[in-house]
Parts: sequence; C-alpha cells; structure tokens
Amino acid sequence: MVGMVLVTVQLPPEATLAQAMRQLGLNEDEVDTAYGLVPLDPAQGLYALRVTEDAGDRVTPAAGGPFSDPPIEPYGPPR
Amino acid sequence: MRVLIQLRPSPDVVAAVAAPDLVATTADVTGELPGVALDHSFTPVALPQAQPATTGGDPLSLHQPLVFSMAPEEASVLVRGEISDDVSSARLALLPGRRMDVVGVYADPVIETSLTCGGTPPVGTWQDVARLLDVTRLRSEGYDGTGVALAVCDTGINAAHVTHQLGRDITIDGDRSWIPGGVSGKAGSFAVDHGTMCAFDALIAAPGASLIDVPVLLSRRPGGTAIDGLLSDAVAAFAHLRTVLEAQPGATRALVISNSWGSFSPAWDLAPGQPGNYSDNAAHPFNIIVGSLEQAGADILFAAGNCGAECKDRRCAYKGRPIVGANSHPQVLSIGGVDTNGERVGYSSQGPGRLSDRKPDICTYTHFSGSKAFGDDQPDSGTSAACPVAAGLVAALRTRWPASQLPPSQLRTLLHRTAVDRSDVGFDYDYGYGIADTGAILRVLERRAMRSPV
Repeated sequence: MVGMVLVTVQLPPEATLAQAMRQLGLNEDEVDTAYGLVPLDPAQGLYALRVTEDAGDRVTPAAGGPFSDPPIEPYGPPR
Repeated sequence: MRVLIQLRPSPDVVAAVAAPDLVATTADVTGELPGVALDHSFTPVALPQAQPATTGGDPLSLHQPLVFSMAPEEASVLVRGEISDDVSSARLALLPGRRMDVVGVYADPVIETSLTCGGTPPVGTWQDVARLLDVTRLRSEGYDGTGVALAVCDTGINAAHVTHQLGRDITIDGDRSWIPGGVSGKAGSFAVDHGTMCAFDALIAAPGASLIDVPVLLSRRPGGTAIDGLLSDAVAAFAHLRTVLEAQPGATRALVISNSWGSFSPAWDLAPGQPGNYSDNAAHPFNIIVGSLEQAGADILFAAGNCGAECKDRRCAYKGRPIVGANSHPQVLSIGGVDTNGERVGYSSQGPGRLSDRKPDICTYTHFSGSKAFGDDQPDSGTSAACPVAAGLVAALRTRWPASQLPPSQLRTLLHRTAVDRSDVGFDYDYGYGIADTGAILRVLERRAMRSPV
C-alpha cells in the first residue's frame, strides 16, 4: 500500500474537518483536505478522512484504522 | 451426418498411419466408400485394438483388465466423412456389409464448448434480455421504475448515446448526481464507456427510472494510479447517496445503487487479518458505509466480478475467493452473470465470498448485444452488465414497493426465494440462488399485496 490511507473518528453531528483535525492533532500537510470529512454512519457519529500513511500510523488508536484505500476499476469488459 | 469410419486396411498401411514420422492421407487408406463423402482434410488416425490382459479373457468385453495393441495386424484406422441424413441409421448399419475392410461406422457429433467467455461474440440481444425479464408484463403492471432513483456508480453516463441506442428518451437527474472533485464534466455528458453501458442495461427493465450519474471511477486523487479511482472516492459517493436517500419522504424511499466495479488485486490492500484490510474486513470504512446506507433503505447491488475459474479476467490476482470486500457484503446483492441461454458465463466469479459465504446472490443476463458502448459488434459483457440488468429489475419493483413496505433485506430474500435454481440443490457458488425470475417475483408480490394492500 502506498500513498494515503483512511482513518475514522467519532465526532458529534455536523462535525467539520477542522474539528476532526484538531481532535486528532493533524495538520493540513497530512490531510487530503479536498476529500474532506465524510460521514460514514451518522447514527454512530462515525466519520472518515484521508491522511498520509505516517499520519495514519500516528493518530491511532485515537482514530480507527489506518485502513487501506485501494484502487477500484470497472469490471468489464473481461480481458 | 458426419461420421467416423473405422477401417482395417493392409498391415503396411496401418503401420504407415501409425508411424510418427509419416503422414498418411485418407486416399492412402481407402478408395471411395459407397454413400460416403470422405473428408480428405482429415488425417487418418491409428486406433489400437483392445485385448484381454489375461489369457482366456472375454475378447468382446471392455469391463476387464485390458491391453492395447498397435501391431499393424491388429490395429485399425479411423477416417472421417459424411453420409446423407436421409435414413442415416440404415446407412450406418449397411455400410460395413458393403465393404469387408469397414469395421464400424460411428456418429461424429459436433463438440464445442458452450461456455461464453471474454472475447466471444454476443449471445442474443438486449431485446432478448427484456423478454427474459418479462418487461412487457412489468410495464403493464406498473413496474417501470418511474419515480425511482437509480444510481450508476461508474465512469459516467453519456445520455445521448443511451437515448440513441434505446430509441427513447431517458431521465438523468442532474441535481442528485454527484461528480468527484477534480473531475470535469456534467451528469449525463461523459464519454461513452463502461458507465454508459451500465446505464443502458439498467434501463432495460426500468425505463422510467431517474438515473443518478456518479462517475466515481473517473476520480484521480493523490496516491491513486493514472487509471483508477480509489475506494475513498466510493466512500464519498455513498455519503452523497445517503443524503439523496434521506431527502426522500420516508414512506416512498426508493434508491437503487448499481456498482460494476471492484478491486482486482490484493497488492494494494493490507493483508487479510490486519485491522486496515479491505477485502476481508467488515469494519473497513467502505463496508461500514455500505451497511449504513442499506440500513437507511437503499438497495445496493455489486457485480460479483469476472474472475470465474473457466476464463477469468487476466487482471484477477486473488488466489481464491475472488468476490471480495463490498462485492461480498451481506447487505448487498452480489450479481453473477448468465448468457441469454441461461448458462453461466465462464468469467462470472464464483463464491464463497469473503465477507459472507453465500455469494453470488443471484444471476442475471450479460454478454448480449446492447448498448454498443464498446463497438457495434461488441457485447455488453461481464458481470458489469449483469449487475445493472439486476438493478433495473430491482428499480422496476421499487415503483410499487418502496423500502418502507419492502425493506432491502426482504427484497433480497424475495429475489433469493424466487430465483430459478440452476443446480437443483438450492444455493450453489456458481449461480447463487439461481437466475432472477420476474414472474415468480410478481406472484409473491401479488400475494403480499392481497394480505396488506399497497
């Protein structure tokens, strides 16, 4: 796995990326800010963000992960 | 009919046919045979004589230990020809009596693999698929997808191409479509490609559905490759789709999501067993959001993949159990592929799945002439086509049965229970529960409607 990884974080409803970064001690160089903070399961207050591998290793266990972010491809036509 | 004729020519001819360094022809073996058009392109083949392995054995029994003799005095020779289909059985019986050197005449049936693989021509057309899905009945009973949101998560849709090929107008819901950051273009206006094929195929059963264009595979994020999207893009796309679902009135929620994509290789993933792994890990963020979106009322369909044992896609790199990650999620429908003859296509991935064993769930049709997105003579192929075909069927059913009245889990069970079992033993890893059966589905829904009117 190279590049960036996903981490998850518990936050209150309507949380922002800035809140997530503060909570995890992340700076802008370590975060894919264009990706932002993505709600995974609002009922559980669970969000995802995309960070560098080093940051992903550092912020756990305060955050969930780090999780792989593999490439995805269309399946067809069969080759 | 084509026949194989077993001859016993002179020993020197048999020896010549059997000799590896000589090439004997049919003309070397025999002159004309009455009523037979000999195939002179066929190289005669020497056939050994089966003999009892023990002294005193039955010379006419093959159900005993045998030895095989290629001695020129004992072996025979096969040539090929054709006889008239007119009273062919009589001709087969009479020929040995006309020529002393004819030992026997046998049918030479055509043998061929019926397996549909990548690169083989289309099997039927999208109109055949419509007939097999009984779209006429669906429409006559009000199941045409009208009012149903059908998201195609793929490479983007070219609406003009779909409209042209279908011969009717389609609806692209631009307001509810979602385009990843950094991707230029607007909903319904992307280049003709895989996503256009998927959109076309989804509309076969649900012509009235509103297509939500989600070109997630066009995204190019830092850390990705030049040719693929990333799973994080799909996470973001599904988060958007939940806002679409939650904006719908609770009583009439209907969102169907078609996904003809996946991950081919473990090389970009963490190993199974590691906490950050995707392929085998229900706790991965994408698998979490899939579950939460289904829980909120979305019907999520994934292609099973094109890693079937008989003719898998060369990109397939998993050693076994190729239905991975969300494609094997227990809360999605994992769709395998059959051709319009109802035979599983050789590339359709077989179970068990990694997140849940019983995958694929069901099969629908693929490898037919449809969208022509890849050329006029190219089929809509792969489980990539089967998945949106199934998604269209689900969208059609949602026209009258929103998630509030038939939750996604119950709809999956309905599709399982009504599928045409191809194995005669219930669920199997080739076809899942079988091939989707519109008639059986509608019969169950009719009974359900009578019990609790919609």
